[in-house]
Amino acid sequence: MSDSPRPTKITDEELIAYLDGELDDASCRRIEQSLMSDPELRRRLQELERSWELLDHLEMPSSDERLTRSTLEMVAVEAAREIEQYSSTRGPRTWLRWLLGLAGLVAVGALGVALGWWWAPDPDRQLLEDLPLLENLDCYRQIDDFQFLEALHQRGLFQEDWPPEG
Amino acid sequence: MRPLVSKSSARRHAMVDPDVHLMLRVREGDGEAFTELMRRYQNRVLLVLEHLVGDRDWAEDLAQEVFLRVYRARKTYTADAKFITWLFTITNHVASNALRTKARRREVRLRPAANSSGSGRPLERLLQCSSGQIPARQLDKAEMRDIVRLALETLSERQRMAVLLNKFEGLSYADIAQIMEMSPQAVKSLLSRARVNLRQILIPYLESGKSPEMSLGNDSRQAGADSEDDSGANAK
Repeated sequence: MSDSPRPTKITDEELIAYLDGELDDASCRRIEQSLMSDPELRRRLQELERSWELLDHLEMPSSDERLTRSTLEMVAVEAAREIEQYSSTRGPRTWLRWLLGLAGLVAVGALGVALGWWWAPDPDRQLLEDLPLLENLDCYRQIDDFQFLEALHQRGLFQEDWPPEG
Repeated sequence: MRPLVSKSSARRHAMVDPDVHLMLRVREGDGEAFTELMRRYQNRVLLVLEHLVGDRDWAEDLAQEVFLRVYRARKTYTADAKFITWLFTITNHVASNALRTKARRREVRLRPAANSSGSGRPLERLLQCSSGQIPARQLDKAEMRDIVRLALETLSERQRMAVLLNKFEGLSYADIAQIMEMSPQAVKSLLSRARVNLRQILIPYLESGKSPEMSLGNDSRQAGADSEDDSGANAK
């Protein structure tokens, strides 16, 4: 009696994967060893191979210029439609872009004016603020003492309603 | 869906694919590149579609739909995979949608005529096609072609798709898995069942010209079981 292990059964799935070159080296070797010793396995393999080769009898579609032309025409129609869609969506978008640009310019301008107003002194405004001083400038020039002027100012001498009534 | 290969690896493979470069040119608006891709793939897409839907005119309409989708998707195209897997993923979706829609319509239309005498079952037509007594060596090319075509029609839609991609596009299980949104192991099982079915139908013809009457019942039952298996084969 032989003690050699009984070879494991090779399934059709394994045989087909072997034919397709989808097995690893170890599995290939195992199948090839079994093929050498098992005529039934060889027959199964040959049948699978033969029936697979029969598919070569299927009719292959011949080159069809008509179909190519027709498909390219369909694609051209599709391309034209895309362009049309793009153009129709582009109009409002351009208008919107212009509008946003204009609004942006106005906003920037307004901000500039505001900042200018805030930071840059307005000469007219300054003149207006200094008007009481300017009106009495000749008088002030005759008085050399600044502290004396300050005292007069505190007593209200330079106010418009001076002298107080009563 | 878990990616079957890493993104960087897929991108590396894709960048050596000349068709990827063509498609990137299409993305940039190159019409000649699109025409070249069509010239390269139109017949191959047509072959798969024709054997999937079983009608030349319908297959042509669907092939046009496939290329129209390719054109529409050009702006979002990224070179993450081989071009062929991307193209046949679209083909698979187009064919599946078309067959599903047709099945729904047929279900509604044919329900009252379910017991009509005409037989649309491929295996039964297969029996009618050949006398069942002609030795294999006497089968002429046309008859052989019809027998093989009808044998292919006995497969489920998913089995047929896997067989066509494997046989005529020479795609690996991993590529087919990506196209059909299955795991490579599920593709392996799917192809195995398909090829065993083909063997059971075709070999008796070749061996002795014997009709596959004995296996007809088994095949029909098997096809039903396979359809159920196939629909559940998406799990990874």
